[in-house]
Amino acid sequence: MTEEPRSAEPRSPAAAVQLMNVGKTFDGVRVLRNLDFSVARGSVHALLGGNGSGKSTTLKILAGVYAADRGGTIAVHGRLHATDSYTASTARRSGLRFVHQDLGLVPDLTVSENFALEGGYPRLAGPAVSWRRLHRSTRQHLDRAHVDVDPRSLVRDLRPSDRTLVAIARALRDSDGGSHMTLVLDEPTASLPRHEAEILLEAIRGCQARGQTIVYVGHRLSEVLSIADRISVLRDGVLVADSPAADLDEAGIVTLMAGQTPATRGGEARRTAVGETVLKVDRLTAGPVRDVSLHVRQGEIVGVAGLLGSGRSTLLRAIFGQAGVEGGGIQVGGVPVAHRSAAAAMRCGIALVPEDRGADAAFPDLPLWENISATVIGRYWAGWRMARTTERRDSARLMRTFDVRAASPDVPFATLSGGNQQKAVLARWLRLDPRLLLLDEPTQGVDAMARADLHAAIREHVAKGNAALVVSSDFEELEALCHRVVVIRDGSCVAELAGAELTEAAVAGLTQIDRSKGPLT
Amino acid sequence: MTGTSVDTDVAPERLPAPPGERRRGSSRALSLSGIAERYGLLLLLVAMTLVFASLPASGEAFRSTANIQAVLASQAVGLTVALALLFPMAAGSFDFSVGAVTATSSVVAAASVSHFGLPLPLALVLATASGALVGSVLGILVARYAMNPFIATLGMATLLGGAVFAYTNGLQISKDIPATLTDLGSLSWFGVPLIVLAAALIAVVVWFVMSHTPLGRHLFAVGSNASAARLVGLDVARVRFLSFALSGLVSGVAGVLLLARQGAATSDNGMNMLFPALTAVFLSTIVIDVGRPSVLGTVIGVLFVAVSISGLTLVGAPAWVSQVFNGAALLVAVGVAGISRARRGAGSAGLART
Ligand SMILES: Nc1ncnc2c1ncn2[C@@H]1O[C@H](COP(=O)(O)OP(=O)(O)OP(=O)(O)O)[C@@H](O)[C@H]1O
Ligand SMILES: [Mg+2]
Repeated sequence: MTEEPRSAEPRSPAAAVQLMNVGKTFDGVRVLRNLDFSVARGSVHALLGGNGSGKSTTLKILAGVYAADRGGTIAVHGRLHATDSYTASTARRSGLRFVHQDLGLVPDLTVSENFALEGGYPRLAGPAVSWRRLHRSTRQHLDRAHVDVDPRSLVRDLRPSDRTLVAIARALRDSDGGSHMTLVLDEPTASLPRHEAEILLEAIRGCQARGQTIVYVGHRLSEVLSIADRISVLRDGVLVADSPAADLDEAGIVTLMAGQTPATRGGEARRTAVGETVLKVDRLTAGPVRDVSLHVRQGEIVGVAGLLGSGRSTLLRAIFGQAGVEGGGIQVGGVPVAHRSAAAAMRCGIALVPEDRGADAAFPDLPLWENISATVIGRYWAGWRMARTTERRDSARLMRTFDVRAASPDVPFATLSGGNQQKAVLARWLRLDPRLLLLDEPTQGVDAMARADLHAAIREHVAKGNAALVVSSDFEELEALCHRVVVIRDGSCVAELAGAELTEAAVAGLTQIDRSKGPLT
Repeated sequence: MTGTSVDTDVAPERLPAPPGERRRGSSRALSLSGIAERYGLLLLLVAMTLVFASLPASGEAFRSTANIQAVLASQAVGLTVALALLFPMAAGSFDFSVGAVTATSSVVAAASVSHFGLPLPLALVLATASGALVGSVLGILVARYAMNPFIATLGMATLLGGAVFAYTNGLQISKDIPATLTDLGSLSWFGVPLIVLAAALIAVVVWFVMSHTPLGRHLFAVGSNASAARLVGLDVARVRFLSFALSGLVSGVAGVLLLARQGAATSDNGMNMLFPALTAVFLSTIVIDVGRPSVLGTVIGVLFVAVSISGLTLVGAPAWVSQVFNGAALLVAVGVAGISRARRGAGSAGLART
């Protein structure tokens, strides 16, 4: 590990992007301190760090979305800008292109219209828009980025992973324009299955081959190591390392991010489950799900693997009473259930952590503590008024248990970093002590250390005689967390892996077969 | 689409980071800009009051007990209408019917005693119930049949205005309005107009419901993200229904206060009461609990507009000033709310940028 003091090295004139003494303070809280680093032209530079360490903030400063504190300098292709004169249009003129963690797509517009927001509308005559040309050019951009999405569909209707791909395709839109481009990506693969992530990484390598520079933020260290030339690590807003990727390995990076050698966690409790059957799904048909049967017993964590659109999320939503069941049955604790609402499912002891945090879990403008207690509001009704003090204190306690890092329980949820938002959502559900935990991409955007902690929390919960059904695009996670994994293809179960058979490669293999056999939808 | 979804779906060109990480910084921060942001309107209200109280042209009249009583009493009905509007606004929907429901309720009360000779208590119950009924119908249209609240409430307001006109034939109902009721509108208790006490009581009740009951929390949760609210087990349709039903109920009470104050029900369609109420509620989102409509903020908003208009009138401004001021305050409130969001997105140093 090379732990270099900041700004020791000489400034490289060839740097595509260089930050000098950049800091950021939010309402009196310093989240970035004297940041100094430079991104060599034509390289893939990864920016890593734990949740809330300031990665997204750094990128937003680069984008001109946030103004950095006075006194710093941002250089793009050798041109110096004082931090207080650096704006979004400076960034754009200098050839920086961004895909933020929250993508920046307008849900109510079509894919084409979202492209036009940045690229403008092609004209038919005068002010009349040529929709044909717009759709056609959008189609081309999507194809080039290997995105199989109809330009006419609404972004709202796309799955999260498709949205990521669309946002990236949009950012790459004019990328063959020249080698002056710098593409900045914030956790682009957070909700992508491995196969899609590979396509994206390939697209990034293509950009690099054309001479472009890439700044990349991500939590999947294996992906980062496979693509990055140089890695910078942030810890609590301070740059703690900046070295060639070849000098680092996963364990070393985690140590740098955590500031200490993480205790080895004896995870992978692979013992066979012994308890009663908690969930029994029998020939369930609902939307894209066709004839799926599976069961989960007490003390068991069962994974669901599948490609985009294979019906994984619909399966969870159907169990939680959020998708119309067209056939088959669901039994919880031996009793047939047909929940019509989330409330009914919750009364039955079921919890669902949804896939799309922004759309289905966040109350962005409400305080963090209210977000954490959103599932239990009624419990704090003290007969004549809400026991707000107790409620807030309990939320604060859960923040500590789940290591949710925020300035205070009162800050609006939206100001939390992505990974901390996810931890808060998990806290909201685990506090219900559900006998059946449905998790859809539970650790998206969560850093390596916190992921291990969350896995431990899930295991501990299940060990108490509960059960969990986990959907994840991260097969590594399925291997580490689950006792069994069910592979779903085109809405039906095609395989089940357990014990020694259950490896990341095996799961990946079974989903790959799917791709070679039929067209992906 | 409802009011709140408007600001969650902003074009990325203008506001580069979508809501996830853009909206609202810490509202507890004690930085100077934070204080200015949270208490700006309150400070402005205090400043306005001091200025008008000390200006030679208006000072004496402005400070007089009679003027203070008149200003407060004139705002009691307006405040109640604004309080009614708070419920749907908290749950993320506009309600353009509050003014019309208030007018209708006052006609129902007046007609009950004057045309049908019903006893006063029964008339008041009927008036309040008529408001709750209209609100419930709107609630069903919006929550059950997924009608756009904007259209549904505007349609209802127009319909009620027409119905009131048809019933009253354009004439006011002033015969036999009991003195017990008009006393409420004209008498004082230890110098405080009774009608102001009534409005204050309603404000306290609404504040309690909004801040200290599960229902209040449910309203804000649905207003913040309806899909997430559904997934944490809330009955979103029920909450939306209740927001309109409560709005109708409080508007119904406002109608009773209106009758008490005016001593007669007019054929007015009540639309002129809507915009001051909207102004007050929008002003409430830029004070104290920034970004969130609140009872205290609404009271401050109502007082701010009332004090300003009273002062301006006393220094000799013409009558149209009140309308212009109301309109301008509404635009400024909506504008400031937007700018404050954008500024928070750009960070606290954002103002340094030119
Ligand atoms: N708009 C804001 N207002 C106040 N604080 C903020 C705001 N945006 C970010 N923060 C704070 O700044 C810190 C850094 O956040 P940032 O989003 O940069 O983290 P990150 O490294 O991207 O983390 P993650 O891996 O979880 O996405 C966090 O403590 C966060 O709470
Ligand atoms: Mg981030």
